[in-house]
Amino acid sequence: MKLDHVPSLPGLYGTAVAAAARDRVFRKQAAEQLPWVRHEVDRVPVDVGELTRYQHLLGEPARDCLPSGFIHALAFPVAMSVMTADDFPLPLLGMIHLRNQVEHYRTVLFSERLDISAWPRNMAAHRSGTQVEMVVEVRSSAELVWRGVSTYLAKGVHLPGLDEAPEENPPRSGFAPPVPTAKWRLGADTGRAYAAVSGDFNPIHLSAITAKALGMRASIAHGMYLASRALATARPEGVEAFSWDIDFAAPVFLPATVALSVRGPEGTRHGGTGAGSGTEYVGWNPRSGRKHFSGSVTPLPH
Amino acid sequence: MANPEHPTEPSTPAGGAGTAAPRKAVVIGGNRIPFARTGGAYAHSSNQDMLTSALDGLVARFGLQHERIGEVAAGAVLKHSRDFNLTREAVLGSALAGDTPAYDIQQACATGLETVVSMVNKIKLGQIESAIAGGVDTASDAPIAVSEGLRQVLLNLSRAKTMKDKLTAAAKLRPKDLAPEAPTTGEPRTGLSMGEHQALTTAHWNITREAQDELAMASHRNLAAAYERGFFDDLITPYRGLAKDSNMRADSSMEKLAKLSPVFGRSLDQPATMTAGNSTPLTDGASTVLLGSEDYARGHDLPILADVVDAEAAAVDFVHGKEGLLMAPVYAAPRLLARNGLKLEDFDFYEIHEAFAGTVLSAIAAWEDEEFCRTRLGLDGALGTIDRSKLNVNGSSLAAGHPFAATGGRIVASLAKTLHEAGSGRGLISICAAGGQGVVAILEAR
Repeated sequence: MKLDHVPSLPGLYGTAVAAAARDRVFRKQAAEQLPWVRHEVDRVPVDVGELTRYQHLLGEPARDCLPSGFIHALAFPVAMSVMTADDFPLPLLGMIHLRNQVEHYRTVLFSERLDISAWPRNMAAHRSGTQVEMVVEVRSSAELVWRGVSTYLAKGVHLPGLDEAPEENPPRSGFAPPVPTAKWRLGADTGRAYAAVSGDFNPIHLSAITAKALGMRASIAHGMYLASRALATARPEGVEAFSWDIDFAAPVFLPATVALSVRGPEGTRHGGTGAGSGTEYVGWNPRSGRKHFSGSVTPLPH
Repeated sequence: MANPEHPTEPSTPAGGAGTAAPRKAVVIGGNRIPFARTGGAYAHSSNQDMLTSALDGLVARFGLQHERIGEVAAGAVLKHSRDFNLTREAVLGSALAGDTPAYDIQQACATGLETVVSMVNKIKLGQIESAIAGGVDTASDAPIAVSEGLRQVLLNLSRAKTMKDKLTAAAKLRPKDLAPEAPTTGEPRTGLSMGEHQALTTAHWNITREAQDELAMASHRNLAAAYERGFFDDLITPYRGLAKDSNMRADSSMEKLAKLSPVFGRSLDQPATMTAGNSTPLTDGASTVLLGSEDYARGHDLPILADVVDAEAAAVDFVHGKEGLLMAPVYAAPRLLARNGLKLEDFDFYEIHEAFAGTVLSAIAAWEDEEFCRTRLGLDGALGTIDRSKLNVNGSSLAAGHPFAATGGRIVASLAKTLHEAGSGRGLISICAAGGQGVVAILEAR
């Protein structure tokens, strides 16, 4: 399905809220299968002012090339358009971002017009609900430049027809915090600040009041804010093609202090950070020792 | 020296292989104002005030009134935007000739030493005959910036052409934008303060609380003894009622130091060891060093205290956790020693800047560690051991304080005088800096 422009996220959230209310009133039977759709928007321009604000907030130098997280934010409404459509079987509101896996194939300049397409796949039972993957591909003049797979969990939603999820809890490997290499102090306005540069005004991120309305005890940091900030530090300098991933664990309730450790694969050994060596990172709550996220950045062969 | 004019002997130290040695650059003397704990005697003095005062003392000591100096290089780490030409403004306000050129340098805590290195290089190349290097910092009169929000509103207002544009720009102002922003000692890329960074390194090298307190106590006692015997009489000019560094505690004892509570590294697995006693306090102050060619010194009947032989800078990747923030001098030193054909034991004095006692002790531990020196420094074995009786013999930053950019000048002038008093020998300077940087240098007695 071709869209003639990138939909507005507040509009999509409005659709999602309306859908949630309607389903509650009419107890509409949700679809049980993923729709066979692909939403596409062609020749999307980048606003250089928005790019600069994004780069400054996330600690990226304001270069002419697009940070990987910025491309995610740019394409996110197209994925949302799929997820808020009537034929999408899972409710958008309250969905939890579990992980992200991205291939960033080459430097993308802000002057390029980008073709964005998004589709769902691999809906599967999860021990606490149903998970689904959203695939987003970004092309420039037919060349694939960026590809991301985001995994979301609709908590408490169990659809018939899906294989039973493993009952037992996965092994909760005890997390031993490593030596930190950085500390982030995130103010209560972190969610609003990221919403302003990414357009993602999901109410669970905006304020304690809007978050509580959706059952959270406080507002939480956007997963992509954490991922993009970690990436700004962890991406080895000079690496233009890379893959990165992030697994989200405990949410970051705002305001917060997050301890971060970024390590080359050689650990503390002496070694270059140039192409060929990737980095791993993990973020946690320095008070409780609970892990917030972990991930890695790996250079791609040219 | 056999030939004071233009030495033609083949290159050993500073020249590099196969080229004739450039001429020598010498330390003639130095002057600083006493260092004051922040909020104390210099609470209302600006960087320019203090640098000008330190310069004036140097001018008076060496009779440089109305003299045109080849060039003056100085700097400050915490600098107001209006101080874009800080050093030139200080020169204009000093007794030096108004046609003395000047420029600013900033390399965090290595600023002071780097001004010496760059001035020395110009002298060695024959571009200038005389130079003054220096540095100044105040944490009392620190620049306070308006918030990013207010700054953007003001800049957009200044760009707005129509009344409508102006109103639109002004309407973006939010109450929270009115809160000012003060500078911090936090590393921009990690958000950790310098003390928190050092705590990681201190823990990594298992440096004990006792060893750190001992180093701090030695610093206070050595500095007090140096004042006692008049060592600083021709290195310091009193300022604002202060004649000695106000942080110095001549009666410091292990018992008193042991009573202080740890302030850094409290969230690590190991017990926290870093206190206000074995960490440098925020300090205000300024220092200057007079440098020249041998011809200049002799022609003006000025003393020659020491040669500045060579220097080396290094940086480490602390962002990805590969090395401690303040460990760069550990990497710079072996490169400098190799270039000059020297061993770590070939020195009579070691001046290792005491940002924290843990910094000094971690560096010494690293140089003594065979595994570290082989795998990280690429050496055959341990770099060597430092005879502690030769370390910071006239006190260092833990006692004197550490006005960031002023520390290099303090150390160069003090070491040059120490070497000259000894009559022979060699000194090694090591200064760590924010951003994972460090500069080391060699001085030789004259």
